[in-house]
Amino acid sequence: MTGLRAFYNDREPYILGIGFIVLLLLVWQSIPLWFTLPRGMALFFTTPTKIGASFYQLLMNGELEKHFYVSALAFVVGLGISILVGLPIGLLMGRSRMLDALLDPYVTAFNATPRVIWLPLLILWFGIGIWSKIVIVFAGAVFPLLINTYVGVKNVNRVLVNVVRSFGANEWQVMKIVVLPNSLPYIIAGLRLAIGRAILGVVVGEFFGASQGLGFMIASAASNYKVDVVFVGVAIFMGLSLILTMAVKGLESRLASWRPETVKSF
Amino acid sequence: MKISDYYAAHQRGVLGFLSLIFLLAGWEILLTYVVPLDPFFFTKPSLIAAAFAEQIAGQKLWHDLAVSSRAFIWGFSLALVAGIPLGAVMGWRRRVEYTLDPFLTALYASPLVALAPLLIVFLGVGLLGKAVLVFLLSVFPFIFNTAAGVKSVDSLLINVIRSFGGKERDLYLKVILPSTVPYIVAGTRLAIGRGLVGIIVGEFFAASEGIGFAIQNYGDTYRLPDMFVGIIILSVIAVLLTEILRKLETTLAPWRSGEEVR
Amino acid sequence: MIPFIEARSIRLVFKSKNRDAVTALQDFGLEVARGEFVSIVGPSGCGKSTFLNILLGLVRPDSGELRLNNTPIAGPGQERAMVFQEFGLLPWRTVQANVELGLELKHVAASTRAERSAELIKLVGLNGFEQHYPHELSGGMKQRVGLARALATEPEVLLMDEPFAALDAQTRDLMQSELLQIWERTGKTVLFVTHSIEEAAYLSDRVIVMTARPGRMKDIIPIGLPRPRDYEMRLTPEFNDIKSKIWEVLKEELTVIK
Repeated sequence: MTGLRAFYNDREPYILGIGFIVLLLLVWQSIPLWFTLPRGMALFFTTPTKIGASFYQLLMNGELEKHFYVSALAFVVGLGISILVGLPIGLLMGRSRMLDALLDPYVTAFNATPRVIWLPLLILWFGIGIWSKIVIVFAGAVFPLLINTYVGVKNVNRVLVNVVRSFGANEWQVMKIVVLPNSLPYIIAGLRLAIGRAILGVVVGEFFGASQGLGFMIASAASNYKVDVVFVGVAIFMGLSLILTMAVKGLESRLASWRPETVKSF
Repeated sequence: MKISDYYAAHQRGVLGFLSLIFLLAGWEILLTYVVPLDPFFFTKPSLIAAAFAEQIAGQKLWHDLAVSSRAFIWGFSLALVAGIPLGAVMGWRRRVEYTLDPFLTALYASPLVALAPLLIVFLGVGLLGKAVLVFLLSVFPFIFNTAAGVKSVDSLLINVIRSFGGKERDLYLKVILPSTVPYIVAGTRLAIGRGLVGIIVGEFFAASEGIGFAIQNYGDTYRLPDMFVGIIILSVIAVLLTEILRKLETTLAPWRSGEEVR
Repeated sequence: MIPFIEARSIRLVFKSKNRDAVTALQDFGLEVARGEFVSIVGPSGCGKSTFLNILLGLVRPDSGELRLNNTPIAGPGQERAMVFQEFGLLPWRTVQANVELGLELKHVAASTRAERSAELIKLVGLNGFEQHYPHELSGGMKQRVGLARALATEPEVLLMDEPFAALDAQTRDLMQSELLQIWERTGKTVLFVTHSIEEAAYLSDRVIVMTARPGRMKDIIPIGLPRPRDYEMRLTPEFNDIKSKIWEVLKEELTVIK
């Protein structure tokens, strides 16, 4: 019996955590067995197995693929642009006090405001094509990247900078040799946050003024009471979010080995 | 001498302010004298200001704000009341954390907004649907930040209190609570951002009143200046709330040199 | 003569879920007379800090006897107070509020608390800093707050767990002298745990050397130096002899890997 007890003790977090999720799914699945739902509700109800079946079906008939690619495109392009814009600006803002003072109010204002609010305007400007989505994704993802890069650059160890300068390095070399590597963990943490915001941008962008994409799939399924399809979409976003976030977290912990503290954020 | 002193001391504020003036002036000049203004696509500061004055004087704006605020406050307060105790228990009891953490983290990391259409269809487009959406989005920062706050309590300080004969109540009041409060404030700040997304998205979905609906409606009817007024007002509210909480965080926790992401 | 603090056959085992149990203290005992300044030195992990925690009343030994003034120790009590290595100040409280912590927990009236803390803050040389916060203070200053706090409840026994280990050498020397002055003024019984033989020899009436884990008392070395002690004493051959004696005893324990 000690073998079993030791096994449980070692893996207790996983057993309890995953067990709980499995339990929830089982309960969910079995609800129709316990209650006969009133007719109104039955329309709205679905179960994990039905969701699985829908998923399979959508996968097979190509619908899922079609929507997925559209969403993925908006996500990748939007995120890509936000990296290309956010990192340099964050870097420059970190190194130049004047630029920091100049841009900081705008960064704060745009960051605090939910990006979603710009959607009607973007749809006005870009129509219901993919560009309004890309801009929303960009607007959401650029700030964590920019801000984290900025923080990383500002928190660079003065001693190290002086060491490198004492060997005659110029500003550019200081950047390359000290500032950037030092900022990397912050930037990766920013990437993790940016991914979450980018996915959010895709979802919300595709809810309104879209004709394709997973978000659109969810919204139109909801209005047609196809609840299982809605959950398929939600589950896909959930899964992608988790996979990407965990991948980045893995990257973060590899880098964190030489860092005393990691940037914590929720 | 006096001006340059003032400038040196308030450099950030002055620069920021000046750049804003510049921007607005440039925008106005560009669209008035340089480029023709297509009212269906663009607008300019003077028109926005006019629309602003009109809306402030009128009734609709205030009514919309009231409607949105109501739903937001309901959802947000519920999230606070539910999230903080749950987070506290999770931070306190390891087993509870083990059980709930994967599930809650998965939910937190997912775009729960994706459920918005379903909620709206389920619960209708009034107060309930919006409040539930706000609740779902804003409850998680409360849970996780409170848990982190409770976990951050320095066990040395617990020993200090106990060594002076302090009882359980003393532990809570004198150590655990003060330790946790900064985290809860940070959580509140994050929750506000997420909650605002909820209220706006909720109102975009075929609501008939509320500030989110108003913005979308103005957009549909090509009333750009009015639309910008709505956007600006919401931004100001969002920034105010966030900055107030940030200030609160630093006053309550001056000993924390926060390395935080905004 | 009944010893003021008396410990006999103390045994403590740390049980852990997945690893083997660790015996921290085995058959540990000592005696301390009232008003004595006694240091405990020993190799890392020998259980000296654990013993202090047992004396404080935060940890119960598995077996053995523990008496203070002939009454058994059953938990924290007003007669014992500890000064911690990492200071343990509440970061959200001012210096004054920190010093008053013990009194607050005993529901002493605010005006009395204020008087008492003012006295002690003066005693440790921090007047003017009453409204400062810990994060604004240096390590030495923080530890003075810790000391003032421990003295506030007027304990009879001061337990000090490597209190100066986190300070730089100069501050450490300064604090040692100040501690001796305060000790002579207040007449407390002090139990002082340290890694530093020099510190132990300089401060104490007797030095207790512990064995490596599981800890028990290995030897007691009386320090015959006259009081009051000053810095120059550290440079005398007598002092060096005492240090060597302690070192000889301690050395054996350091090479034993249990």
